[in-house]
Amino acid sequence: MGEILKTINLTKNFGGLSAVVDVNFVVKKGDLQSIIGPNGAGKSTFFKLITGELEPTRGQIIFFNKDITSLPQTAISHLGIAVSYQITNIFPMLTVFENVRVAVQSRKTTFNLWSKAISHKEFVEQTRHILEQINLSDFKDEIAANLSHGHQKRLEIGIALATQPKLLLLDEPTAGLSPMETRQTIELIKKIAQDLTIILVEHKMKVVMEVSDRITVLHYGKLLAQGTPDEIRNNEEVRRVYLGGVKI
Amino acid sequence: MKETGIGETFGLGNRELRVEKVGWWQRLVELVSRNPLVFIFIFFIIFPFVVPYKALATQIIIWGLFALGYNVCLGYTGMLSFGHAAYFGIGAYTAGIVLIRLWQNIWFSLLCGLLMGGITAFILGYLCIKRRGIYFAMLTLAFAQLLYFVGFQWVDLTGGDNGLRNIPAVPLSIFGLSINIYTPLRFYFFVLVFVASSLLAINRILQSPFGHVLQAVRENDQRAKSCGYETSNVRWMAFVISGAISGLAGGLYALYLHFVGIESLYWTTSGQVVMMTLLGGMGSFIGPFIGAGVFLYIEDTLSVITPNWMIFLGPVFVLCVLFFPAGIWGTIKDLSTRRRK
Amino acid sequence: MQLFTGLSLGMLYVLLALGLSIIFGLLTVVNFAHGAMYMWGAFAGAATIAITGNFWLALVISPLVIGGYGLIIERGLIRPLYGRDINYPLLLTFGLQFIMIEIIRIFWGTSDQPFSAPASLSMPLEIFGVFYFPSYRLFLIGITVVICIVLWIFLEKTNLGLVIRAGTRDPLMVRALGIDMRRIWWLVFGIGSALAGIAGVLAAPIRSVFPEMGIAMLVECFVVVVVGGMGSLKGAILSGIIMGEASSITTLFYPQMADIVIFLVMAVVLLIRPSGLFGKAGLLE
Repeated sequence: MGEILKTINLTKNFGGLSAVVDVNFVVKKGDLQSIIGPNGAGKSTFFKLITGELEPTRGQIIFFNKDITSLPQTAISHLGIAVSYQITNIFPMLTVFENVRVAVQSRKTTFNLWSKAISHKEFVEQTRHILEQINLSDFKDEIAANLSHGHQKRLEIGIALATQPKLLLLDEPTAGLSPMETRQTIELIKKIAQDLTIILVEHKMKVVMEVSDRITVLHYGKLLAQGTPDEIRNNEEVRRVYLGGVKI
Repeated sequence: MKETGIGETFGLGNRELRVEKVGWWQRLVELVSRNPLVFIFIFFIIFPFVVPYKALATQIIIWGLFALGYNVCLGYTGMLSFGHAAYFGIGAYTAGIVLIRLWQNIWFSLLCGLLMGGITAFILGYLCIKRRGIYFAMLTLAFAQLLYFVGFQWVDLTGGDNGLRNIPAVPLSIFGLSINIYTPLRFYFFVLVFVASSLLAINRILQSPFGHVLQAVRENDQRAKSCGYETSNVRWMAFVISGAISGLAGGLYALYLHFVGIESLYWTTSGQVVMMTLLGGMGSFIGPFIGAGVFLYIEDTLSVITPNWMIFLGPVFVLCVLFFPAGIWGTIKDLSTRRRK
Repeated sequence: MQLFTGLSLGMLYVLLALGLSIIFGLLTVVNFAHGAMYMWGAFAGAATIAITGNFWLALVISPLVIGGYGLIIERGLIRPLYGRDINYPLLLTFGLQFIMIEIIRIFWGTSDQPFSAPASLSMPLEIFGVFYFPSYRLFLIGITVVICIVLWIFLEKTNLGLVIRAGTRDPLMVRALGIDMRRIWWLVFGIGSALAGIAGVLAAPIRSVFPEMGIAMLVECFVVVVVGGMGSLKGAILSGIIMGEASSITTLFYPQMADIVIFLVMAVVLLIRPSGLFGKAGLLE
């Protein structure tokens, strides 16, 4: 089947508000799947359910045939799901290098109180490799809070990559970026999509159409449609609800 | 981006080079903050000869050690605890009680003080650690007060309101020798050995993988969690380390005074170490010692003039909170780096 | 009878806890100087009585003075800290209370101030010809109930109260509606301080008045608030009463544990319901 992630009737209610309603969602291995939908459609909530930050009200999440619905965030991270956040969520006062290095280290050790962290060569190597991938090697000694917005977003992605995920969730990685930076990020996403399965939440339709293998449309927490970019482009309901009848 | 002052900027793509004149004191500050331990050791060797009387130097380094332990909790992990008197006080009482009733061996008594500080932090940490921020501060305060009242009532063990008296001045037995360490200068250097060891240990821990995780957790707990770190366990361990060092400081204080007062468990002791840490500067090695030094020196100097010396220190602290949250050392570092960015 | 004493102690807890909770619920500020404000309330009352000899006047003046002081403090010292880490106001009020204690020590000395209840309340109240209740404690309970009702009316029935309640639940939304929360915060801090002040003057006749009287009270108040649930007013009331009773009953049966019992209650409550009786989970997590 090649499905690595599946949600079954996934629902999340916040008091009276239903953020995610009965979503049956599937991702195949190696795919780059995008989720689109108007603001408030439940996309960020959906991500948080998958990463374990929020507990679903109802429904199941299956990852590699394992039920991860009630697992805590930390366990899910170790199973291979990583997320890059919409609002930049880095370690502000640490250097760029350290931001990535500490994420790399998470796979191996937490409570080693004795040896020097830097002496662990394998972490250093992996960090260098990732910094090259995200093109921030020049900035490795900068304090993360001092980076430009665009660079911080790349660092975001780098931190997520550092945990060697099998499934990468990207929440609006191009938000607030200039056209040139957007282009750079798209190239980066395409590159990492070769080895990873990715779920992407995006508003920029051009980006979505360009990189996605499949697209899912959410509306008021419900799954409206799922299919290839062409299928979605031609879907009447989607056009009415989301694209406002505009041709893409 | 901060202004460069007398610097000039050359743009080179997305890299910027600044050429500027750097004053000697900025170089000194940078040198010291890069190699804090060396400077601390050198300074502390001459310290007792610089202060008005040697016992003050001893008090300062003991409280400095306490503040250092507290700093692991506040500065390096970002947890505001208002109950550290519990670990200091328990460490003090344990060391004293061991010497009086169990075994007249200094090493052992101090070890027990350290361990009890750590164990207490382990237990209280379990109850408090899941909460953050202000809730955590209040819980730590409440539990420390609980221990205070228990200590107050348990007169057989602690002497209650009268305190634990007549802790024997046990000579130090080392390499078969029996040394009397209770002259002011000798005792100072005896304490310094422990302070130095603790500094080295903390330094090592901060450079370890755990130490790096600790700082990441302080910077962004939620992100650390999403990377797979069990952040509450990380903070718990830091809390235990903090408690152990505070316990050691307490034990040393018991040996210093030959007495443990019930107020060592009272929240004013917790408050004092908080004030010292903030005054001196969090998140560094030098800060806590500067804070302890300034605090105790002011107390020592002013309390001769007036019993209401707190009326001077209180506003100083408030001003610090408002305008100099980085403390003395932190502000010095900030001022010196403003020109080099 | 002991139950009754417990209830009156509980009322003091309630007043203090309400003040602390209301400030915390809206501003997310823990007023570490709350105990000192309580103490200043008692001293303000003593001063008023020294000048006018009138207890009832003291009852009115104290909360006004302390409330006004609270307004000054919020405006001058706490407001500058709003952008920063939430620990800063706590640290600031912590330093502040030392100053407040020291000021009293300088002007009044360190020993107890005499403070007696007004003559009209000094005689025990006779009920059914059988029970004798100390009138003053009855009065204390009564007036606390009145204050709680007034507070409830204010919060539930007035527009300002509505804004305050909304601000506690969703500060961003209220700001988006164009309401300047800063004025509201300023006011609420004043109200909370006034509550501490009146608790102080009410406590003065039945507890000793001395500069450090607020310290123990503050810690107990924290425990009450934590058990009731941070930011919850219902919780503050219920918890205050429970703690007052627990403390009094224990004094009767097992006096050595009297100081400790409220902490034990807190530990138990936290293990069962980590957010307190009425606390919202996730607050400050």
